[in-house]
Amino acid sequence: MGFIADIQKKYKTVSIVGMAKNAGKTTALNYLLEEAYDEGLRMGVTSTGRDGETSDLVFETDKPKVYLFEDTIVTVPEQLFGLAETSLEILKRTSCRTALGQVLLCRVARSGYVQIAGPGSIMEHKKLCAQMFEQGIDMIIIDGAIDRKSIADPATSDAIILSTGAVISRRIKNVVEETVHVVSVYKSPLVEDEKLRAILEKEDRDVFRILTIDKDYNVAQVPVRTALGAGPIVNDAIGEDTRFVYIPGAITERILDHISPAKLKQVTIVLPNPTKVFVGATRWQQLRKMGLHVQVLENIEVAAVTVNPFSPHGYSFDRDELLNAVKEALPGLPVVDVRVGGLDL
Amino acid sequence: MSNFTTATSTVDLTKIKPYGDTYNDGKVQMSFTLPVPDGEEAQEAARQYAKLMGMDEPSVTHHSDLGIGYTFFVVYGPVHHTVDYTKIRVTKVESHVFDRVECGEWIAKNIGRTITMVGASTGSDAHTVGIDAIMNMKGFHGHFGLERFKNVNAINMGSQVPNEELIAKAIEVNADAILVSQTVTQKDVHIKNLTNMVELCEAEGIRDHMLLLCGGPRISHELAQELGFDAGFGPETYAEHVCSYVMQEIVARGWVNKK
Ligand code: B12
Repeated sequence: MGFIADIQKKYKTVSIVGMAKNAGKTTALNYLLEEAYDEGLRMGVTSTGRDGETSDLVFETDKPKVYLFEDTIVTVPEQLFGLAETSLEILKRTSCRTALGQVLLCRVARSGYVQIAGPGSIMEHKKLCAQMFEQGIDMIIIDGAIDRKSIADPATSDAIILSTGAVISRRIKNVVEETVHVVSVYKSPLVEDEKLRAILEKEDRDVFRILTIDKDYNVAQVPVRTALGAGPIVNDAIGEDTRFVYIPGAITERILDHISPAKLKQVTIVLPNPTKVFVGATRWQQLRKMGLHVQVLENIEVAAVTVNPFSPHGYSFDRDELLNAVKEALPGLPVVDVRVGGLDL
Repeated sequence: MSNFTTATSTVDLTKIKPYGDTYNDGKVQMSFTLPVPDGEEAQEAARQYAKLMGMDEPSVTHHSDLGIGYTFFVVYGPVHHTVDYTKIRVTKVESHVFDRVECGEWIAKNIGRTITMVGASTGSDAHTVGIDAIMNMKGFHGHFGLERFKNVNAINMGSQVPNEELIAKAIEVNADAILVSQTVTQKDVHIKNLTNMVELCEAEGIRDHMLLLCGGPRISHELAQELGFDAGFGPETYAEHVCSYVMQEIVARGWVNKK
């Protein structure tokens, strides 16, 4: 049985998230669509950016095109509709607006190459996916743009496929380290304290959404609308008895740098999900050693990791060496070189 | 329509070529620098380079020593390639452009409140002229900036502003749009910085009530789409383009009465 069939049993909306531009997302997408076709699955495809144009708008390198099979449901904004190399049937004009016009929900009338684009915003994607499922499809694949990871948000995606590759670094060791960092952040421990979870899940404060929770579960609002640029205020809000700090937005190195080492050890930082973490691999390790604890309300399922041994910057790795290094570093996760195929689970 | 008439002849729009001295001669002039000192060998190198780029019988019409072993060249010659003009599709921001005074009136009539835009040149980028041209009172090329628009609250934070600070400000003032300017594109620093901006906005959950715009000399609307921005503006943008887009988008998205 194919890889996709296995995934489809567990997850209905899967995003392909790239560690970097040119990590091989489009190749992964084509591979999955081909497998899905063989399995007789009816697919929906959308993108957080734009996909399927022959040359890359960002780096002007050649880029694989997206081949869609007949009956696939796809999102195409008005201004790209005329660029499809095959016939598309417009099912619906959605209310979703993008830089390239209103998003059209289309059915692929004849298999061929299509330029796909969808809304840049994740919330819009959630709405769009619901409309795609109304068309009676088995599964949706969302292609994440460039290195954008927010689409991994469990509110939108049931699981992700992480694409990594040589483009990240000339050294295999660095590629592996960066990839392991992302996977381990995505597998951050879940909030186990049920009392805390109950408090946070019902908290729906309008303005001041950052909270501190003390040992007796007293909740206090931190008087800022965002933690961005407010590290010192968050630091001041941590009292002797504070046990948890709930941050519903981004946490960055700048914010964490303002939390005193003692307070960093004392509290657990709670986030809605791991897409809120904006800390690089090296700094994350350092902070962890200093006692940083992060827990999340929801986690991100990593269904598989794809590797691409080629970099468009003109170098490549030995494919087995990269594949094996990533496999070894991520035991238990399916890792595949999508150009070769042959995923062993 | 695949043909139109110029002063002297009919152009086949499916196969256009540069015009130098005569129609369809394909004459092109280009300039570049080679990392070698000026001299006969350098000029030959420039000629060969132009040939490799598809230029027939290139002539070096100008060369000057830039010092420390570099030479600047201007090369002139014919090329054979043609472009099918009829197949060209350029994507543009689709909104009607009103002038400054009309914008102010339109906002009063259709939105009924002041709209707020916060902008900056972000990351390591120190180029302020672009964002100032859009936002500051004085404007650019005789087009006043957003600060001069009625019913617009324009906040320009300047240059080298970290994404985090720009977003914090936008949240603080409950902005309707965030304006990001990026000029330096060397080694694609702008791409990383711009996607980081989008991702931080997502994490903060502000994209359902704030527009995210980028602009700069190398920014196009298509690039904006690829990166996940709502719109992108390149050269020859003026404040009225930005204001027209933002105000119409606010209405189209139903954000008139946003909290
Ligand atoms: C002035 C200038 C500077 C000044 C900037 C002073 C200042 N306060 O801004 C100084 C001397 C500081 C400078 C420094 C550097 N510069 Co400089 N600079 C220029 C120059 C000559 C003009 C830029 C300009 O002001 N254009 C005029 C404005 C009005 O045009 P614009 O930015 O395109 O803006 C318009 C649109 O793009 C749009 N727009 C722009 N932003 C936004 C934002 C939004 C939201 C919207 C809607 C629209 C919009 O609207 C504007 C009006 O129509 C250009 C070369 C040139 N002639 O273009 C080089 C240039 C931009 N600089 C360049 C470089 C490399 C540098 C340096 C790295 C040099 C160095 N090695 O140190 C440093 C970088 C410093 C840094 N950290 O950013 C390169 C950039 C190359 C590249 N693509 O990466 C250029 C192109 C020169 C070159 N040919 O190499 N520079």
